[in-house]
Amino acid sequence: MIGIDRRLVQNVDWTLLGTALAIVLASATTLASLQVARAGGGVALRQLAWAGIGLLALALVASVDYRRVVRAAPLLYALGLGGLLVVLALGRTVSGARRWVLLGPLSVQPAEFFKLAFLLTVVWLLTTRWAQPPGAAVVGLLLLVTGVPFGLIVRQPDLGTALMLLPVLAALLVGAGVRWRYLAGLGAVGLGALPLAWLALRDYQRERILVYLDPFRDPLGSAYNVIQAKIAIGSGQLLGKGVAGATQSRLAFLPERHTDFIFAVFAEMWGFVGCLLLLAGYALLLLRGFDIAAAARDPVGRLVALGATTLLAAQVLTNVGMVTGLLPVVGVPLPLMSYGGSSMLVSMLTLGLLLSVRMRQFQ
Amino acid sequence: MIAGPRPGRGPTGADAGRRRITAVAAAVTLGFAVVIGQLWYLQVLEGGRFLDASDRNRIRIRPVAAPRGILYDRHGVPLVDNRPAFTLSLIPRELPRDPASRDAVLGRLAALLRLPYEELVDAVARVPAESFLPVRVRRGLSLEDMAKVEEWKLELPGVIVEVEPQRSYPSSRFAAHLLGYVREATEEQLRQGRYRRGDMVGQSGLERLLDEFLRGRDGGQQIEVDALGRPVRVVQQTEPYPGAEVVTTLDRRIQEAAEQAMEGRAGAVVVMDPRNGDILAMVSTPAFEIDRFTGTIDREAWLRLVQDPDHPLLNRAIQSQYAPGSLFKVVVAAAGLQEGVLTPMDRVHCTGEFHLGGRTFRDWKEEGHGTVDLRRALAQSCNIYFYQAGLRVGGDAIARWARAFGLGAPTGIDLGGEKVGLIPRPRVRRGRSAWPPGDVVNMAIGQGQLLVTPVQVARFMAAVANGGVLWKPRLVQRVQRADRGVLWSDAGRVAGHVELAPAVWAVLRESLWAVVNDGGTGAAARIPGLEVAGKTGTAQTVANSRAERGEDHAWFAAFAPARDPEVVVVVLVERGGKGGQVAAPIARKILNAIFFERVAALEVHG
Repeated sequence: MIGIDRRLVQNVDWTLLGTALAIVLASATTLASLQVARAGGGVALRQLAWAGIGLLALALVASVDYRRVVRAAPLLYALGLGGLLVVLALGRTVSGARRWVLLGPLSVQPAEFFKLAFLLTVVWLLTTRWAQPPGAAVVGLLLLVTGVPFGLIVRQPDLGTALMLLPVLAALLVGAGVRWRYLAGLGAVGLGALPLAWLALRDYQRERILVYLDPFRDPLGSAYNVIQAKIAIGSGQLLGKGVAGATQSRLAFLPERHTDFIFAVFAEMWGFVGCLLLLAGYALLLLRGFDIAAAARDPVGRLVALGATTLLAAQVLTNVGMVTGLLPVVGVPLPLMSYGGSSMLVSMLTLGLLLSVRMRQFQ
Repeated sequence: MIAGPRPGRGPTGADAGRRRITAVAAAVTLGFAVVIGQLWYLQVLEGGRFLDASDRNRIRIRPVAAPRGILYDRHGVPLVDNRPAFTLSLIPRELPRDPASRDAVLGRLAALLRLPYEELVDAVARVPAESFLPVRVRRGLSLEDMAKVEEWKLELPGVIVEVEPQRSYPSSRFAAHLLGYVREATEEQLRQGRYRRGDMVGQSGLERLLDEFLRGRDGGQQIEVDALGRPVRVVQQTEPYPGAEVVTTLDRRIQEAAEQAMEGRAGAVVVMDPRNGDILAMVSTPAFEIDRFTGTIDREAWLRLVQDPDHPLLNRAIQSQYAPGSLFKVVVAAAGLQEGVLTPMDRVHCTGEFHLGGRTFRDWKEEGHGTVDLRRALAQSCNIYFYQAGLRVGGDAIARWARAFGLGAPTGIDLGGEKVGLIPRPRVRRGRSAWPPGDVVNMAIGQGQLLVTPVQVARFMAAVANGGVLWKPRLVQRVQRADRGVLWSDAGRVAGHVELAPAVWAVLRESLWAVVNDGGTGAAARIPGLEVAGKTGTAQTVANSRAERGEDHAWFAAFAPARDPEVVVVVLVERGGKGGQVAAPIARKILNAIFFERVAALEVHG
């Protein structure tokens, strides 16, 4: 089906793609300025290489009709769940967390990919004929479909990725027109589960949340990251310190500066103005996403686009929120900016889903 | 239509869908607004405060030197240890930025501690000005100097005193050549890229040979410091990994006794166990002050040492070559007996003179020794007997047996710079090689071109003592660490065998016993209650004339107990005079220490 219909090609959303590539370039230059050495070449080049692979994956997904993808959702979900179980059983442990599975020379984070499988599965559940209108049975089923992987991902432990499932679920329920009282009921269940969740958390996760609530609880221990990140961002002031002056980032005061905290590096170098530009880029990306959802030809397309957009939005807001000290540090990468193959690939696949919907809006 | 229209809601399904999307988009927009508000707060409203904080934010990375591994003697007694020492360092990044005030700080420091100002400037010039890494300028600072630096701390930004482990030795010159000194990596070593600036590297002896094992791995500390450079807290710490332990073959007690016995003399001592080739002690005098050499030594002191006419840096036990003198008669006797040219019964009448082709060769004893057989000739070191014996055995056989005893070849001891010695070759004339009789006669009494090192003599004498086994001298038994067991070990190695008939060995040993105990030249080495065997030697120095007789090198090579030898002791005293008068008493002192003071020590300790 690739390239058969000329209208498909005409409807490629170049603004969306162009914005995404601009953000990737910002990522590569930021990484290059950090000069973090990794085996097998600079991090910046590897990031670009992953972006290239991501673009191929994006083209592949965009060329497939999203309805076929949604129909395959249960299978993807089963595969994803299998992947999560494999991680728990024999995953590679990096700094205390089992998130990676080795596939040949690559280490893969199945949880990253599971987010997409989850999104498609929820859309599938909400749009199958027997599900309409989405009633109590479907909502109950959704709770199960969400709860099991949520638990598995938290166990890794990767609280951030697990939490990303919730806004996606909420947005899809809203988008599918689930009755408000079901939504309210779900919210109540969620709140009721909070004390349980607290018990399930690891010590360091609890500590991070406590630190978020009271940053000076341990200013030199676990709050260190947050304080250093705030100093980095704040010292960038209006126009930033430039690459050479960014002492916080370059002298390695910032932890995780090429992955989760890359926004702080960017903020130190380019200041408030630079941050606004970067956030404008993300906003443009998300606006196109909502536009695609609104213009979708059918409910399946609308929900796929809405879910994909919400997933990106949730990650951007959570990451920037945690780096700027608004949210607890839960470990969510900034899409297209943070270094990491799995994250880059999944972001590109998400954009691929959006494009797939866009290209078929007039069919 | 899944999210189908419900009564009372939007007019069409599509409109309802769009409204819901707008709701989600609104939530996202709200999120963006909050994030941008926070950025405005952090960067614009509070930016100045955070900028201050980032300027004040300094972390100093301080390497923590790993203690070098400790060397033990064969009984587990340490030969070297580590003690904490003060190190003076400069932190380039924290020195004043402008050259004038930086030079002022360095000048103040130079004046305060009486250090050469240029050395401080050089040390700073060699590293980038941005570096947080301390540059060491003086190790082993005295308590007084340390106190001075602390007192003037505020006038000396970028100057710190750290505590680091440093080598400490039982005495100032203890086993200096054997252990070797430890100093900062030289420019040459830095170029090879195996070391970082300021690394302490073994530069000679065992410290150099085993440097890889001994050095361990440095740790590091990330220290947060305030604007004055005062440490506030340790952010992160990696513990240093100490070097491995080395168990040598030395016996510290014997080493100390040998050093004491050589006090005031130039020369060398080698003590070897003939049963396994273990080196129990090795002394070379004069020795350098190993403790002053460790760390930073000023250029002047170094030059003084290098240019000292007594060559204190030379390890005479392996790096100096001397004529063996009468020691070599043992080789000639062995060759003659084994080749069947000599028998123990042959007698020679010694008048003190020997005539050969119009030349007269003299004995050291003017009036001669009278009628002597082989045993007597060895015991009294009669030259006339060996002039004749040498001619009968012939230059080729003597050279061959000298090589069989390991002379003229390196012993393979695990120390760098070993000299080979020299066995003369026949002269080549008109395409034919031949031994001029004059050369053979000279060689037979260990003079002429012959050259040997003390360690070669020790191995040769050990072969006489043990019946022909030539050992590779062993210095290191094993390298081990508490957490990983034995990393390296040397089980000892036989380098060759000297094949002589048992009767020949018996004659040699009996004769060497007579040297000490039956009216021989080595009577000064006699010890009641211990059967000592040995051979004296007096090596004529190259430029000697009759007037300078007292300037000969004195040798004594002994083993004991004669019947069942446990140790070989070789003593060489440069320009000491006669072997029997100078070297033999030193050997006696050492043997006494080995066999009797040990017993006394045991008795005292119960």
